[in-house]
Amino acid sequence: MLVDRRSVFAGSAVLAMALPAAAQQAATLAPPSAQAPTSQAPTSQAPTSQAPTSQAPGFYRFKVGGWTVTTVHDGFFRRPVDGFVRNAPLADVQAILADSFLPGDQLTISFTITFAQRGDALVVFDAGNGVTAAGATQGRMIDNMAAAGIDPARVTHVIHSHFHGDHINGLLNAENGRAFPNAEIIVPAPEWAWWSDEGNTTRSPEGQRPTFANAARRFAPYQGRVRQITPGGEVLPGITSIAAHGHTPGHTIYRISDGAEQLVFLADTLNRPEIMARRPDWQIVFDFDGEAAAAGRRRVLDMVATDRVRVTGYHFPFPANGHFARHVSGGVQGFIFVPADWSSAV
Amino acid sequence: MTERRNLLAATGALLAAPAFMGRASAQTAAAPAPVPQAPGFYRFRVGSFIATTVWDGFATRQNPGTGWIVNADQAAVEGALRDAMLSTTRLDNPFIVTFLETPAGLTMFDSGTGGQLAPTAGRMRENLAAAGIDPARVTRILVSHFHGDHITGLTTAENVAVFPNAQVFVPEVEWAFWNDTANESRVPQAQRGTFANTARRFGPYQGKVERFAAGAVILPGVHAVAAYGHTPGHTVFHVADGTDQLFVTADTASRPEVFLRNPGWASVFDTDGPAATASRIAIFGRIAAERARMTAYHFPFPANGYVQRMGEGFRFIPADWSNAI
Repeated sequence: MLVDRRSVFAGSAVLAMALPAAAQQAATLAPPSAQAPTSQAPTSQAPTSQAPTSQAPGFYRFKVGGWTVTTVHDGFFRRPVDGFVRNAPLADVQAILADSFLPGDQLTISFTITFAQRGDALVVFDAGNGVTAAGATQGRMIDNMAAAGIDPARVTHVIHSHFHGDHINGLLNAENGRAFPNAEIIVPAPEWAWWSDEGNTTRSPEGQRPTFANAARRFAPYQGRVRQITPGGEVLPGITSIAAHGHTPGHTIYRISDGAEQLVFLADTLNRPEIMARRPDWQIVFDFDGEAAAAGRRRVLDMVATDRVRVTGYHFPFPANGHFARHVSGGVQGFIFVPADWSSAV
Repeated sequence: MTERRNLLAATGALLAAPAFMGRASAQTAAAPAPVPQAPGFYRFRVGSFIATTVWDGFATRQNPGTGWIVNADQAAVEGALRDAMLSTTRLDNPFIVTFLETPAGLTMFDSGTGGQLAPTAGRMRENLAAAGIDPARVTRILVSHFHGDHITGLTTAENVAVFPNAQVFVPEVEWAFWNDTANESRVPQAQRGTFANTARRFGPYQGKVERFAAGAVILPGVHAVAAYGHTPGHTVFHVADGTDQLFVTADTASRPEVFLRNPGWASVFDTDGPAATASRIAIFGRIAAERARMTAYHFPFPANGYVQRMGEGFRFIPADWSNAI
C-alpha cells in the first residue's frame, strides 16, 4: 500500500466498515501517548477529571459513490429576526420559526463548508469566514478542518458559489496570503464579471456594495490561478455547475456525482430551511434579486425533492446534509428538510 | 476480544487527538490520515446542568418492512420509511446514551451495549474518552428498562463492573418482573434471555442497586415517570433546572420516523403493544404541549430536540447543533 495521503485517506474511510483490520492500521497511526488502557473497565477507582464543557469537533463524513464528502462547521452569527425577510410580516416569520422550535427574536445563521475528495481531487465549495477575531462565534473552520485531518495545502480546487463575504473571506490566511496555497480557484463567470466591475456599484443593493472591494482583496493573491466557468457545464470530472442566479448575479450551485450517486451543494439557494423551504417565495435581506432568487429556489427544491437527491447547504443546521420532501403548511406548498442519519460508519 | 477492544479504544484516542496526529505526521513526513468520522458526542445545557448525548453505534435491521412492526402491513411501514427519505431495505437502529452533569455528580441514563451485541456498536467508551468523560466519575446510573442494549454495557464481557463508583437505580416494577423467572412464559420467546442477562449484569453491582417507585425523585432535579408497555416497568426521566426541562425518553418511541409518526404501531420488542402506545401518546403529548426538549435512545444522533403534533401522530424536530454550549 502506498503511504501517500490519498491511499491513507481511502484506508481510513473504510475504517468504520471493516473494523478489525482497519483498526489495526489506525492503531499504528496513533501516537504512543494516545494509546488507551488495556482493559475496558476503568483501571482507577478515583475520578480523574472534572466535568468537561467542550463541544465535539464540527465535522461529518459520508460517501457519495467514490467521493468522500466532509461537511465542516465554521461557527455561526446571530442577527435580529426583524428585517430578515423582506416580503412577509414579522409575526409570520416568527410563527414559522416557532413551528421549528426556533426563537423569534434572534436568528442563528450557521456556516458549514462542504469538502469532497476523490482520487487526486480535494475540492472545497466556498471558503468560509477565515480568520476571525478572538471570541468570535464564526471562524471555526480552520480548527475543525484540523480535527478532520484536512490540510488546506492539499486542497486542489476552491469552487465558489458566489462572492458574499462569508463565502470568500476564508481565501486569505492571517498574513493575507493564500489560505489554500496550492488550489485552483473556480468562479462562476457572471459572478466574477459583476463584482469585478465597479461600474455596477450603483446597480447593486447598498448593503452589498462592499463586495466589490472585498472580492478584489480576497482573490488578489490567487492571480493567475482563477478559472472562470460558465454555469451549466462540467467543472471537474464528476462535478457540474448549475446556474441559480438571484441571491447574487452569478450565484451557482454544484452537482457532485459518481455513478448513480449524487449530491447537490445548494450554497445560498436557501438560507435556514426551517424558514425558506417552508416559504420558498419569501425573500431575504441578503438577496440581490429577490424575485429571481425565489424562482430559482422553487425550481431547485422541486428538482432535488423529485429526484430524492441528497444535498448540503451553507446555512443549514450542522451537519447540513439531508434531503427535501414536499410539505404543505399553513396552506402553502413548500418543502421540509429531512436531515440525513448521522452514522459512525462512513 | 481484548486485542480488538484495545484497537478500538486506540481508534477513539486517535479521534480525540488531532494535535498529536499533526505532530506525528510532521515527524514521519507522511501525510495525516483524515479521521474516518467525528467523535460521537454532543453537549447542551438544561438550565445550569449540562447534558451530553454519546453515540454507542448501531445495529442494522434488514428489510424493516417485515418482521418488525406487528400491527401494520409492509406497504405502510415502507411508506413511512420512504416519507422520511430512509431506505426500505435496511434501517440502522442507533444506540445513544444520555449523560447529565449536575451539582449532585455525573448521571448516566442506561448503559449502552458494551460492545457485546453488534459489530457496529460498542463505541461509547471511545466517544466518552473523546468527550472527556471518565466512567469512574459516573455516580448514578438510571436504568429505563432491562432490554440487552440498555444494560449489557454495565459490565464487560468478563462481567466486571464498568462504572465502579456508580449506584444503579432501577424501576421497582422492572426489577420485580425480570428477577422472577416465573414470568418467562409471559414474554415473547426473543425476550426470554432478558431474565438471565438481568441477573448477570446487575450481579457485580450487588449492594449498589436501588429500586425506585414511579414518580420518585432520584436526585435533585431528576424524577422518574412511568411509561410502561415497551417492557413491564419501562420508565422515562424528567430533568428540570429553573424553567428548562429535558425528558430522557428511552424507548418510549424507537426511530421517530416510524413510531412518532405512527404512535399506534407496536414492535416485536414491546411486551404490551397497546400499553406502549398509550404511554407513547401520553409522554410525547406532554412533551409537545410543554415544548420541552427531549433525548431518546434510538433517535438519529445527536438524538435531542423537540416534538410536535402532526396528523395522527407527532414529528421529531432535531435541535440546532451549536459549537457554543
